[in-house]
Amino acid sequence: MVSGAHMTESTPLLQVTDLSIRFAGVPGNLVDGVSLTLNAGETLCVVGESGCGKSLTALALMGLLPMPPARRMSGQAIFEGQDLFDMPLEALKDIRGNRMAMIFQEPMTSLNPAIKVGEQIAEAVRRHKGVNREQARARALEMLRRVRIPAPEKRLDEYPHQMSGGMRQRAMIAMALANDPALLIADEPTTALDVTVQAQVLDLMRTLQRETNAALIMITHDLGVVAEMADTVVVMYAGRIVEAGPVRKVFEDPQHPYTIGLMSSMPDLGPRGGRLVTIPGVVPPADAMPEGCRFAARCPFAGADCAAAPPLRDLGDRHRVACWRAPLEFGAPDLAAHPAAQGAAS
Amino acid sequence: MTTPDLILETRSLRRRFVTRKPLLGPPVEVRAVDGVDLRIRRGETFAIVGESGCGKSTLARMLVRLIEPSEGTVLFENRNITGLRGEEMRAMRRDLQFIFQDPFASLNPRMTVGALIEEPLRAHGLGGPDERRARVAELLERVGLLPQHADRYPHEFSGGQRQRIGIARALACAPKLVIADEPVSALDVSIQAQVVNLLQDLKDEFALTLIIIAHDLAVIRHMADRVGVMYLGQLVEVADTDTLFTHPRHPYTEALISAIPVPRVGVKPPAHGLQGEPPNPIAPPAGCRFHPRCPYATELCRSTPPPLTRLAAGASVACHHAPDLSLQGLNDTGTGRSPAAERRFALYRAMREQREGQTLPVPPEPEI
Ligand SMILES: Nc1ncnc2c1ncn2[C@@H]1O[C@H](COP(=O)(O)OP(=O)(O)OP(=O)(O)O)[C@@H](O)[C@H]1O
Ligand SMILES: Nc1ncnc2c1ncn2[C@@H]1O[C@H](COP(=O)(O)OP(=O)(O)O)[C@@H](O)[C@H]1O
Ligand code: SF4
Ligand code: SF4
Ligand SMILES: [Mg+2]
Ligand SMILES: [Mg+2]
Repeated sequence: MVSGAHMTESTPLLQVTDLSIRFAGVPGNLVDGVSLTLNAGETLCVVGESGCGKSLTALALMGLLPMPPARRMSGQAIFEGQDLFDMPLEALKDIRGNRMAMIFQEPMTSLNPAIKVGEQIAEAVRRHKGVNREQARARALEMLRRVRIPAPEKRLDEYPHQMSGGMRQRAMIAMALANDPALLIADEPTTALDVTVQAQVLDLMRTLQRETNAALIMITHDLGVVAEMADTVVVMYAGRIVEAGPVRKVFEDPQHPYTIGLMSSMPDLGPRGGRLVTIPGVVPPADAMPEGCRFAARCPFAGADCAAAPPLRDLGDRHRVACWRAPLEFGAPDLAAHPAAQGAAS
Repeated sequence: MTTPDLILETRSLRRRFVTRKPLLGPPVEVRAVDGVDLRIRRGETFAIVGESGCGKSTLARMLVRLIEPSEGTVLFENRNITGLRGEEMRAMRRDLQFIFQDPFASLNPRMTVGALIEEPLRAHGLGGPDERRARVAELLERVGLLPQHADRYPHEFSGGQRQRIGIARALACAPKLVIADEPVSALDVSIQAQVVNLLQDLKDEFALTLIIIAHDLAVIRHMADRVGVMYLGQLVEVADTDTLFTHPRHPYTEALISAIPVPRVGVKPPAHGLQGEPPNPIAPPAGCRFHPRCPYATELCRSTPPPLTRLAAGASVACHHAPDLSLQGLNDTGTGRSPAAERRFALYRAMREQREGQTLPVPPEPEI
């Protein structure tokens, strides 16, 4: 068994420090200096547009990065007292699918199309726990029941293709949770699902988390999902954390121009407004990561000083931001008098 | 009360697909669209929503005859277009344009962007070569690309840029009605917002009628004047957008709305979602098709299909119990942002306006 005994209340479940990832042939780091902390039972949501390094970060934690071409330039990830980046592959394999597990947008990433769903879950249990076939099958059945797949006895002996998308998603969750992991990483788990099925899956993840006190890292680009699920939020842009903090802080006191741009780009479900206020341009491609603040080319607040990369500063209450001008009222004072700012503030 | 000026109508529109032909017995059919009566008003933005597989794309494609209906008619400007052939059909195609979800799949990879946008102009014999080239340049600029992009190929562009190319192509012949099937679903949040703004601007500028299919209900709330909700091949509710979101009349609409994750912390209790799976369209349930998942279902619902019934001008619902139900919609009063967030949004907007001029045009994307 892994530690636990010597862990105190204040020891986080996972502590990632200064993770940087680079790819062969690409000059800049695609994940650059990412640090995050997660406690047992907590949900951390990672948001950002595609190509911002969210999946790479998750894959690195799971030891699933394609190395080569990927290379870890720096970083530590202390999980239950051990550094995930500094352990033999065998030890990592013992942890993976056991103490921590990952689910993907596309369930067929983790489900084998040629094996019955029940057998796959049972196999995942047998790999890590000293149980016999019957016990493993009973556990698989229990898991299918817990993810509320209808007629679970029947579904045990079905192949993945015989299930609907939402049901396959649940089968994948059942498999990931079969060994009661302390940490679940979910990479866009509901992006491909209908809004009604998404609500079911999110509800399910919340319930299971409550039952097992697992921590959850959830990658998404849907700020609605973040508002419903997260305790803490990390906003990533072009490989870096640009803002992070408790969910309420980030939504009610957003600091980074990218966070603000993301929020104002999303229609907000309020009564119909005018045009969306967008972020101009696109995320820089992997081989053209800019120097300095990576958001500068799209940032309306950018100035000459942004040619140097801003550090991730702590504003108090675990709210962190990487922008020279935050808070913007003081960083861009001449604008407080601008008519557009006046109008909307009243 | 004046009768609205309808640009497009459908009457009992149906489309069946054969999914399997067994050796013995009749072929297995799915009724993808099963009796839809739409009435689209000139100049409106009409949205169609519903779960995956409920028949939205099939319906949209029948409206422009990308696929033929099995039964029923489509009337464009009071004219039945279901039987049109040859020259008449070509003329009609000019007025009705389609924008696809995946612009890449719909753009011929061997043609330059200029040729792609020019193609519909040439097909309809509009203008000489010089005029057409000028028009292509104008359209490219209008959708936020550069005239010199005309010489490039689709694969050289990002998803958002390809969608702009698809839009330029659809607008080339100055159509009256544009049907867009999930035009922003494949795009990233910020790019999606750019394209949503573009579609809205172009709609005003070209005086278009827009029919938009989207599964993102927030996008629909933002863009649409009216919404039609589909369930298993049928319309179950039609209403103006604000009413639909705040006072849904059909239990399925209520379920859809309660499932939307709202991007504000603590304003909404987490939804549990509809119980059960979307049913099999090959063997839809008897009576009201929604009854196996409906919390309000009664004996009547299990036996008798409810007809789509008119409630008010432009609003209808297909539910036996709609008059007695008091359903939950979005609560519009409690949706305000915090003052600090509002202040930052205002600053952001102000700074963008200051840097880019008052109108916030769609910015050209950087050279690729
Ligand atoms: N060419 C076809 N052959 C057989 N079945 C089809 C065909 N096209 C559509 N269908 C079926 O018709 C039904 C409606 O499909 P349609 O593509 O219109 O749904 P949709 O509402 O657009 O879904 P989505 O949101 O996933 O795009 C589905 O059951 C689908 O499987
Ligand atoms: N296997 C790979 N080889 C080369 N580049 C990659 C690979 N995987 C990801 N990248 C690049 O790394 C960056 C971050 O990717 P990713 O973590 O997948 O982003 P996200 O999950 O935020 O959408 C992107 O620029 C992407 O193109
Ligand atoms: S550091 Fe400069 S460029 Fe970067 S977000 Fe802040 S103002 Fe914008
Ligand atoms: S007719 Fe009955 S089953 Fe159908 S939506 Fe109305 S209450 Fe529900
Ligand atoms: Mg990803
Ligand atoms: Mg479709």
